[in-house]
Amino acid sequence: MENNSQVNHKQHQSKWTLRNIILIALIAIFTGVIFWGIGFLYTALTVALTPIGAAPFANDILMGIWCMAGPLTGFMIRTAGSAFLGEFLGAAVEVFLGGQWGAGAFISGLVQGIGSELGFTFTGYKRYDWWSLNASIFTTVVVTFAWDMIKNGYDKFALPLLIGLFITRYISTFIFGGIVTKMIVKLLDRSNAFNL
Amino acid sequence: MTDVVIHDFNYQYPESDKKVLNNLNLTFKDNHFSLLSGPSGSGKSTLLYFIAGLYPRFIGNDATGSITFGDTNIKEIANNQISAHVAMMFQNPNQQFAMDTVIHEMTFVLENIRTEPAKMDGIITRSLAFCGITKLRDRVINTLSGGEKQRVALACIVAMDAPVIVLDEPFASIDPDSRTDLIHKLKDLQENHGKTIILADHDLGDYEDLIDEFYYLDPTSHQIRLLNHDEAAKFFANFESTQRIDKRFALPTQSDDGAILKLRNFKLDPHNALLLSLDQFNFYKQKTTLITGANGIGKSTLFNALTKLLPYEGTIEYDNKPIKRFKPLAYAKNVTLLFQDAESQFLNVTVKEELDLSFKNRFNQNYSHEQVAKMLAQLGMQDRDDQVVYSLSEGQKKKLQIVEMLVMCPPVLLLDEPFKGLDYKSLRLITAFLAEAKDKYGQTQIVISHQLAGLEDLVDYHATFQNQTLTYQEVM
Amino acid sequence: MNPGMKLLLVVLIALEISFTQSLVVNCILIAVCFVYIMVKRMNFKTLFMLIFWPMFPAVGLFVSQWLYGSAGIHFAWVLFTRIYAYVFLGATFTLTSSITDLALTLEQDFRLPSKFAYGVLAAFNLMPKIREEVQIIKTSALMRGEVFHVWSPKLYFKAILSSIQWSQNLAEAMTSHGFVEDEPRTHYRIIRITGLDWVTFVGLFVIVQAMLFLIKY
Ligand SMILES: Nc1ncnc2c1ncn2[C@@H]1O[C@H](COP(=O)(O)OP(=O)(O)OP(=O)(O)O)[C@@H](O)[C@H]1O
Ligand SMILES: Nc1ncnc2c1ncn2[C@@H]1O[C@H](COP(=O)(O)OP(=O)(O)OP(=O)(O)O)[C@@H](O)[C@H]1O
Ligand SMILES: [Mg+2]
Ligand SMILES: [Mg+2]
Repeated sequence: MENNSQVNHKQHQSKWTLRNIILIALIAIFTGVIFWGIGFLYTALTVALTPIGAAPFANDILMGIWCMAGPLTGFMIRTAGSAFLGEFLGAAVEVFLGGQWGAGAFISGLVQGIGSELGFTFTGYKRYDWWSLNASIFTTVVVTFAWDMIKNGYDKFALPLLIGLFITRYISTFIFGGIVTKMIVKLLDRSNAFNL
Repeated sequence: MTDVVIHDFNYQYPESDKKVLNNLNLTFKDNHFSLLSGPSGSGKSTLLYFIAGLYPRFIGNDATGSITFGDTNIKEIANNQISAHVAMMFQNPNQQFAMDTVIHEMTFVLENIRTEPAKMDGIITRSLAFCGITKLRDRVINTLSGGEKQRVALACIVAMDAPVIVLDEPFASIDPDSRTDLIHKLKDLQENHGKTIILADHDLGDYEDLIDEFYYLDPTSHQIRLLNHDEAAKFFANFESTQRIDKRFALPTQSDDGAILKLRNFKLDPHNALLLSLDQFNFYKQKTTLITGANGIGKSTLFNALTKLLPYEGTIEYDNKPIKRFKPLAYAKNVTLLFQDAESQFLNVTVKEELDLSFKNRFNQNYSHEQVAKMLAQLGMQDRDDQVVYSLSEGQKKKLQIVEMLVMCPPVLLLDEPFKGLDYKSLRLITAFLAEAKDKYGQTQIVISHQLAGLEDLVDYHATFQNQTLTYQEVM
Repeated sequence: MNPGMKLLLVVLIALEISFTQSLVVNCILIAVCFVYIMVKRMNFKTLFMLIFWPMFPAVGLFVSQWLYGSAGIHFAWVLFTRIYAYVFLGATFTLTSSITDLALTLEQDFRLPSKFAYGVLAAFNLMPKIREEVQIIKTSALMRGEVFHVWSPKLYFKAILSSIQWSQNLAEAMTSHGFVEDEPRTHYRIIRITGLDWVTFVGLFVIVQAMLFLIKY
């Protein structure tokens, strides 16, 4: 591995090498493919929730899963832009697998990418721990929610519904982007896989 | 003159305490065909990666000593000039190509070495023709079989036209006919196109009359010796003696008695091309059945159907019950696959974690810890507890993979090319372990292998895969 | 049309209609894209998928906006058609352009460093293998007595281990195939952005602007 010389990954900074670029893209595709497999879950949730007009909850319940690639690649390849690229490519994969979003997925990818990247930007690409992960979760939720206000017309909902959606999204993102990501990173950490 | 001179060369992996290459001094001569042999894990791949200029770029630490091409030290060659000196072909046919189709990959290669666009068509046509794959020109690489991919890889190297060609066990998963053919192509490159060929292989078949020099990497001293004519002849004779198989096999009786896996009205065409069609076929309990057949005929695909990884038509019954009626986990505990690619089997990072996982979840208590430790020691795999499995040599990966699946000890074990890249000694040990699992623990085994030598004591039945059907044979 | 320009145009328009609320323009976009797809490539199965799957989120959004939204039925229809506009805009790109061409034009015309263009392209070309690999990981876990779900960290862990390994193999293979980061390369197929591309791009973009400006319903 080209960045092997930095033994202690807590401090290590990565570079944009060919290998790291391929690595980000591969992680994005793997996660994209795994999520695509649960596309039916989204559809099922939507169908179940539509009669009571709560379909947007399907979106917010699963938001965390869709936003996992960003924090993961941000954590693995520690340099400016890696979280964005990972998240964006992850969304692009959905387009090519024939997901139900079309060009919308490109745009969601851009938005979610910016969201997860910002967390790492605010911590100066220096800290890679629970704190920066939470920063990334926070920015992801805020940015994507703001975007859904516009795109999916959330701004036309009454405040209680809006708060409900926001909390759902936060919990989902916290579970998948936070807890699950943290567990994955811990497995990687313990196994020294960063230095593979 | 592009002799490849290795001078006072030493190398030790960052996290290991032994040198894998110990004070090497040797010269791979210009315009010669050099064969490098040595047991699994002795350091062949490591040396070849250094010669190809991939190490130290893709590894943490550097070696001491020097490698020179003619008068030029490899360290003085600019990154963008390396490919004008040397090209490499890998063992694993996957993850070798950047582009989608054969023609795109070939142009990608030529663009990289800054060939004039006007000349590309000619070079590509000639390279493909040389490798006998003119008709693969527009194929999507992902849909080619392993053997075909290796031919494409060779065509890329021919197109690059580097004076030195380095090959790391390039034929490990290739059927015997293709192998013979490709080895002669390499000879042609050396004799008629002035190439220097450096090739690592365990399997010594076909080389005896073709190679100019035979190098042996000793696993204990980690040094390389050029063998003289008599010594080389002895190696070849030794190898030949292991290759003579004159065993005849029984044909199974046509009845269903003792059949554990039954295929009925079975059709396999996952990619819209019929691969296999069987009215009825049985695999028998507590027997080892060997399946042989050419590259790309559909052997791995059959295993994928047997393990529910791919759809099929008709029925497969395990223990008189259609496999579709088993729950995934319950079925996986009974019919287990040893993947063609060892890395597919690994779920953890270090050797110890891998073995522990098998011990934790094994389906029975047949193997004791001591027994397994002894097996590992016999295979030369002791003291590797903390090594990352992905950094094992190809042969070591295979050995670990087999041991961890033996620990699971499922009733039916499907083995897809389990002997790939193993030296003869390890192969005999493994066949003995498998025979024990069968005789003592009643395991049923189905083995796909291109490599036949050394299997005669293990195999009970032999089926050939040909013309979209499986037929039991009396000969090997 | 040049695939890079096409992607840019599609994303720009999609972005724009996210902010505007014109039912008619959404419908016009859908119709135009539909005709374009039909002219370029007729495949009824794909077409059916394009219409069927987005039905669920589109209806879902529609109903919730209709029931709880403060902006009335017109806005609910805007959201409904917006989803389809995204899908058909996306399809004009994915169904008619190749990823390879996109990488070529990004490298040659958009001055993207070649390591990004070919690194990402190489990974995307492994997509079918990655789908198989996910299946293999799950099966291989079953055979070792473990069940992996979408939420199992170990599933991602193994996927990342494979990614690490594959990225190493691919980078080594590309290097040995003569690829060197940040070095000039020749080009067998030159992809240029032609005058016609510019005219089409600007023309279509202006027309969409005009429509969005004029048609408010
Ligand atoms: N990254 C690494 N870290 C530590 N040890 C390593 C690493 N890579 C290889 N090794 C060890 O170095 C030794 C030589 O490996 P190498 O792959 O060169 O063997 P080989 O002769 O090619 O074997 P095979 O025939 O099985 O492919 C092996 O014992 C292997 O376990
Ligand atoms: N995704 C795919 N699309 C189309 N064809 C495919 C695909 N995957 C495999 N094939 C084809 O299916 C055939 C069977 O492949 P399989 O891997 O089963 O061969 P095999 O007998 O195991 O060969 P080998 O000895 O090289 O391992 C091959 O001809 C291959 O080209
Ligand atoms: Mg090797
Ligand atoms: Mg096979």
